[in-house]
Amino acid sequence: MAIADFKPVLLQNAGIDGGCTLDVYRSRGGYEGLAKTLKMSTDEVVEEVAKANLRGRGGAGFPAGVKWGFLPKDRTQTLLCVNADESEPPTFCNRVLMEEDPHQLIEGTIIAGYATKAQIAYIYIRVEFHEQFHILQKALDEAYAAGLLGKNILGSGYDLECYIHRGAGAYVCGEETGLIESIEGKRGYPRIKPPFPAVEGLFHQPTVVNNVETLSCLPHIMTRGADWFLGVGPEGSNGPKLFCISGPVNRPGCYESTMELTVRELIEDPRFGGGMRDGKKIKAVLPGGISMGILTADELDMKLDFADPRNYGLLGLGTAAAVVVDEDTDIRLVLANMARFYSHESCGQCTQCREGTAWMHKMASRLALGAGRMEDLDLLFNVPDTMGMMPGLSICGLSDGAAFAIKTTVKKFRNELEERIREQDDGVVQNVLAVLN
Amino acid sequence: MATITIDEQQVECRDGIPALQAALEAGLDIPHYCYHPGLAVVASCRLCLMEMKLPHPKTGEMGWVPKLMPSCQTPVRDGMIIRFQSDTVRENVRATMEAYLLNHPLDCPVCDQAGECYLQDYSMRFGRASSRFVDAKTVMPKKEMGPRTLLYADRCVLCSRCVRFTEEISGTGELCITSRGARSEIDAFPGLPLDNPLQGNVVDICPVGALLDKDFLFTERVWNLKSTPSICPGCSTGCAIKVDTADGRVKRLKPRFNPGVNDWWICDDGRFGYGYVHDQRRLTQPLTRRGHDVSSPPWEEMASLVRVRLENESSEHGSEKIAAVVSPMMSCEEAWLLVQFVRQVAPESVLVLGHVPTEGKEQRFPIGSTNGQAKFVIRPERVPNRRGVELILANAGGSVIDFAAFIERAGAGDFAAAWISGGYSSEWITKEWAKAVVKIPLIVAHDLFPSALTEAAAVILPACPFVEREGSFMNHSRRLQTFQRALNPLSGCRQDGQFLAELAGHQGLYNGRRVRELMTAAMPEFGLVADPPPKPAHQH
Amino acid sequence: MSWPTIDRNQSPVVSDAPAVLNDAVREKIRSFFDRYDTKRAVLLPALHVVQDALGYVSWKAMMEIAELLGIHPSSVFDTLSFYTHFWTHPKGKKVVVSCRNLSCTIMGGAKVLDAIKEELGIGEHQTTEDGRYSLVTEECLAACDHAPCLLINEKLHKCVNPADVPALLADENNDRLDMPRSDLFDAPGRSESSEPIAAGGGNGKKD
Repeated sequence: MAIADFKPVLLQNAGIDGGCTLDVYRSRGGYEGLAKTLKMSTDEVVEEVAKANLRGRGGAGFPAGVKWGFLPKDRTQTLLCVNADESEPPTFCNRVLMEEDPHQLIEGTIIAGYATKAQIAYIYIRVEFHEQFHILQKALDEAYAAGLLGKNILGSGYDLECYIHRGAGAYVCGEETGLIESIEGKRGYPRIKPPFPAVEGLFHQPTVVNNVETLSCLPHIMTRGADWFLGVGPEGSNGPKLFCISGPVNRPGCYESTMELTVRELIEDPRFGGGMRDGKKIKAVLPGGISMGILTADELDMKLDFADPRNYGLLGLGTAAAVVVDEDTDIRLVLANMARFYSHESCGQCTQCREGTAWMHKMASRLALGAGRMEDLDLLFNVPDTMGMMPGLSICGLSDGAAFAIKTTVKKFRNELEERIREQDDGVVQNVLAVLN
Repeated sequence: MATITIDEQQVECRDGIPALQAALEAGLDIPHYCYHPGLAVVASCRLCLMEMKLPHPKTGEMGWVPKLMPSCQTPVRDGMIIRFQSDTVRENVRATMEAYLLNHPLDCPVCDQAGECYLQDYSMRFGRASSRFVDAKTVMPKKEMGPRTLLYADRCVLCSRCVRFTEEISGTGELCITSRGARSEIDAFPGLPLDNPLQGNVVDICPVGALLDKDFLFTERVWNLKSTPSICPGCSTGCAIKVDTADGRVKRLKPRFNPGVNDWWICDDGRFGYGYVHDQRRLTQPLTRRGHDVSSPPWEEMASLVRVRLENESSEHGSEKIAAVVSPMMSCEEAWLLVQFVRQVAPESVLVLGHVPTEGKEQRFPIGSTNGQAKFVIRPERVPNRRGVELILANAGGSVIDFAAFIERAGAGDFAAAWISGGYSSEWITKEWAKAVVKIPLIVAHDLFPSALTEAAAVILPACPFVEREGSFMNHSRRLQTFQRALNPLSGCRQDGQFLAELAGHQGLYNGRRVRELMTAAMPEFGLVADPPPKPAHQH
Repeated sequence: MSWPTIDRNQSPVVSDAPAVLNDAVREKIRSFFDRYDTKRAVLLPALHVVQDALGYVSWKAMMEIAELLGIHPSSVFDTLSFYTHFWTHPKGKKVVVSCRNLSCTIMGGAKVLDAIKEELGIGEHQTTEDGRYSLVTEECLAACDHAPCLLINEKLHKCVNPADVPALLADENNDRLDMPRSDLFDAPGRSESSEPIAAGGGNGKKD
């Protein structure tokens, strides 16, 4: 299906008057997916979702059906957590989904709850989403009143309680076990695995954590079928997808398309980013949320699917949220901004991440202030190699994000960084170093 | 049992223990901070990462998995193949040690931990020689964590052992980690400081000089300390300890690994209960009184002097009028020698189990744990060897009574002479007891401090505290544990065992083991010494 | 000690100090117990309610929350200090949150922050003398499509220009949400026109 033919699915109710209300949602086909689901067995639902190859849209791309399959067959209790923490810069598509179509998320949550036999679903929403919290809670109230939540949903015999749990400002609580720890009222320290959440998660019970966008796909998979979902977009990266674009483009926003979309199209196509503002030129793009890494202006033909980013040295598709860096923006600023973020958000458990992100923050800040050294570039390139969950060095993926964000930037913009250092006033550098020591 | 391969060496170990523990027990030096065998695994320090050989998911061929794994959170399985000697593993340790040192203050010259510091040791063995950090170090505050413990937070490596200790062992939960990331600090709620009977252990388990014991602060460099294995005489639990001495003084006491008894811990009463050893008021010379004549004969004359005086009393008044109070502070060997001597001079003498001070009820930790669950127990009986003395008295047969009965009979004028041993760390003779005891015409007092007892005694023999003696104690569960002599007896004192051996007619230097060999003829229990095995060399 | 030391032996709370959480607040906190398996899990909801009721979470409040939940005050302290949202000392009636992350920075967020600092006369984590405003910066607020953005209490302000700042801050209704609100995490009996919290005026670094 070419992008031109694509009709919004996830955003089909966006901008519709009263789109947040139950009545309007229902009038446009809402909760039919749920009705259909409740007539199937839970195994059938899991199979359908697995068949649809619904890959997680939270950043890891892990297939939801496979994740649900990890739940022990003999379990008596299951908990579902909806990850509405959305803190990966510069992502905001979950926010859009919640403020434009809260019932789509709720329907998806109930479908997932049914499939996983969950008794309770907790929606973990970041505290900064004030308006979205109010909208979502009102929608939940409507759902309860209409018998869509609580006991005996739509007469099916299935019970599901759904509670909103507000976060309090911590990126690491978007990590599934950090989220679980936070719900339990503790510091958001990601857990060591094994045991995996599916076996022992929230309150020691089998738990599934799914992202808002992932769950929002479920009503559509159930109404239109797994085969339909498989047919949208390319194989392996199928299904409608939301993309965010921000920075100095004409139309920053959240758009829906298939994963055939390229970064260039997202930025320049008049249906999406609409091109650069004021004739600015592109210096760089971080296409997956900053944690996936950076692209140069020559790499914009990368496809925003689950596979192509790796060909460009990125960690993956991530949240498919792109921010464009224009030529007038100093790359040192970008580096320092990202380094500060990871240092501020590191939970502090793992030594290399805790100390390494703080070290990179100090170096990148000094660099941005005009007192950097060539050795700092080498360090900023090498310190990322000391951390990461994928090589087994750290407990969670925050460190991989930090590593990719910083390392790819230093690698791909080495020339510019060296140029900036050469332009520095030598006296300033010496003074700053003397003061620091 | 399982057999695993570590760095191409076959190692036999208990099945299911962490791979790190197996490696440490095999004598390997694997760096670790957060792992402690007595605490929950957190796998946060990332020092102990290893490589494991596993079958390839597609081909099934065995190969080294590129992803490192924490050896502390990986239980051994029979046939497991792992390695610590690889470039990837070594590089991780080097990088992690560098990370630790980035903000670490250069405090070694003023830090108590120097010489037993795992930051120093691991940096030397596995780390970088120089720092690549040129920025400003993050400075953290110093904190009074409690009445006895300080925290120098900028030295802290955030291993969280102390927090887990107050959570899982003492059960008091005072310690926590506050803030986030590189700004994290160990802290306590203000007004609810670190103050529980086991709190001193957090200083032991702190691998660096962050948590500090005020008692030992700036006292001594650890390489000047001589360390002697001993047993705490504070209660009948019988915790294994080590006595660290320098310049003829005890500088500190620390726990010794003793599985099933005190594991890795001791209580504060035991840890800080050595002050009396160097108390100025200690008795330092033998004294004899006849009427108003006080003289101070040399030790060489004391044995025959005491023997003669007691023999006289025995023949004059009858041997059943002689009593011997055998203190439960004495070692088994000393008690046996004393009994041997007394029954030699007075075959019908009355043997008395000395005063057994008790304090409150059994204190189980973590607080609130039931009998079976407790990880540490402070017992109400505040003496180390009641069981041993009881056994020896029972074996001696004849008239054996308890201390209350002794006081009653002494008050009734039953005794012509008595040997009374004390050796308690503080004043123990009450006014009531003194009134009864002074009725005994001839008292031989063997004690540490002057008191109403020594005032009334005809012969005063200065005793030695446990650090100046060697022998064995039998704890509450009849476990026989030996303790060694850490210091020479204070000038003017003679080691109790030496003098008692002389009294009992033995030749040569007193030696606990040889006395036990003699004891086992009649009492085989004293052949079953159950001292703890040594801890693995690189475990901490 | 001959150097400054933080003394945890000392309590910052007078032993007979009156309770800071009234019955209604306690009841509100208890109303969350049914939602979770453990009382400790009520901690984050409780902190939200208490911060709404008192304006911040004092040491005394932490102790009372701990008692309600049956946990040690150190557990309240450690959890609270992990997150950026909770204040441990009084803040202004309105909290201005300026995003300092990448999209907002690229779109000129630093100038907006400077304009706020100039207009209010305070720096980050400080409160104005009259107690009206506190200023903090935060990481990405997930409103990058409207960068640079600001939160004033619950209200998100989009595409903010430095030139707009004085008028924005002068607007009494700049924190008003024109939408139905859920009072799930509100302090009970929250009135629309609450008194401004007395300002500290000083350097508002969190304890």
